[in-house]
Amino acid sequence: MAVSKVQYPISVEGFTYSYPSKPYVLRDISFKVERGEAVGIIGPNGAGKSTLCRALNGLVPHFYGGRMSGRIYVAGMDTLKHTVAELSTKVGLVFQEPETQLSGLALTVEDEISFGLSMLGYPKEVILDRTREAIEKVGLKGLEHRSPFELSGGQQQRLAIATVLAMKPEVIVLDEPAAQLDPLGKSQVFDVLRELLREGSTILVAEHEIEELATFTHRLILLDGGRILCDGSSRHVLRQVERLKSSGVDPPSVTELAHLVKTVCRMRLEDYPITVEEAVGLFAELLEGGRI
Amino acid sequence: MLAFVGRVARQVGLPLLVVVLPWMALSVPILSLPLGFPWNQTVVYRIQMLGLDIPVYLEGLAWGFTWPLRIGVTISAALLFYLTTQQTALVAMLFKFRMPFRFIYMVAATLQMIPLMVDEVRSIYQAQLARGLRTDVGIIKKLWNFLTLVVPLTLSSLGKVQTRAIALESRGFSAPVAKTVLYDIRFKRVDYVFFACMAAATVYLGFLYVTEGYSPIVHLRYLLLG
Repeated sequence: MAVSKVQYPISVEGFTYSYPSKPYVLRDISFKVERGEAVGIIGPNGAGKSTLCRALNGLVPHFYGGRMSGRIYVAGMDTLKHTVAELSTKVGLVFQEPETQLSGLALTVEDEISFGLSMLGYPKEVILDRTREAIEKVGLKGLEHRSPFELSGGQQQRLAIATVLAMKPEVIVLDEPAAQLDPLGKSQVFDVLRELLREGSTILVAEHEIEELATFTHRLILLDGGRILCDGSSRHVLRQVERLKSSGVDPPSVTELAHLVKTVCRMRLEDYPITVEEAVGLFAELLEGGRI
Repeated sequence: MLAFVGRVARQVGLPLLVVVLPWMALSVPILSLPLGFPWNQTVVYRIQMLGLDIPVYLEGLAWGFTWPLRIGVTISAALLFYLTTQQTALVAMLFKFRMPFRFIYMVAATLQMIPLMVDEVRSIYQAQLARGLRTDVGIIKKLWNFLTLVVPLTLSSLGKVQTRAIALESRGFSAPVAKTVLYDIRFKRVDYVFFACMAAATVYLGFLYVTEGYSPIVHLRYLLLG
């Protein structure tokens, strides 16, 4: 194992993968994620976002089979040489549907969170400690003894995040965590992610909707047809409005508005806003200057 | 009786009545009248009806009652177990008995699945109603309606099983280590006594079954007719 790889929580090198029933879902994917970085994976449905997420904790190829080439290192561990169980303490994977990722064995929120650690045979005291900690981090305090099935979608998704937090992973990978949630649930989930990021976690989120993503990711990777089309700082990727739209990804409305103002009204704009706050600043300036 | 102790008599009793009584109503006449039940020998009564002389057989009569009762015993045992068992205790106990963890999961997950399945059935049913499923139909059509529930339920369950397997896998389910179970369980004296009684009863009933060969054909004739 090369020493240089240990420095990166995630390092993907020339990864190409075919499902047994579907060829070349991912082609020649290479990127590295720095510690403490928040990376968004964006792209239309079927771009390979989910497959990429599943490749990061070894489900691809251990669970699905198929053919692959290239390597993925997670915290220095080759995903091909380690089992999903071993990788589960390095990569925490949160899925799209809150309900199906519940263990089906736990009667309470507490049990649910401790499930993963029990499976790995941690001592009881460690499990209880970490469970308490994870509950606090995702803001589910007071609901410890509820049944996981009685929670709202947003709460269930935060529970899912807590279950992976308890494993103290190097990286948290979320596969469209907000896709099935209502607006309130969505903002709860993203609030938790922001908080985790502040504490120094490394986060990788695959999302279909960019609006929320733009507010906290440092970097975005645009995936389409299994290839990386664009990889750079969030601002750099989002300002390529035409390119995003041709891949079927909607840029944030404010960015698109600025783009239209620039192209249709032929105005000179230095930079596009990517969040609402930035847009307010920009347009206030334009209005005051009498340019609109 | 156990059902009363566990305060679930209503939940156990109702399904029993619904299943066992109609079953008896069907099985008793079919078996006891000369409709082809092969073990019928002893005539206990003759019905004079419409100028016909119809024999009623003891063997069929006895089978007609015992058979639904046996089903009833199975149902009530299953319901009692489901309604009164504390799942964490069950898991802890199986774990203490050193059962393989996959087996423990299977038992516990089955219990947890029941309410989820009920929800699923309800939403599928409502979806089918919304799409024009007729409920004011005859019994044959009703059975057909049943299919419209079972097929989507089976398919969606299969899909869910796959997702759940993935979720379990990514949480270390198949890690080759000794699992930790958070709940400890200790047997009290009551438990030992109960277990002993159960074991004794099982042995005694087993003994009866083997020696007497409980079958209403042999047994009831001996009881009733001496």
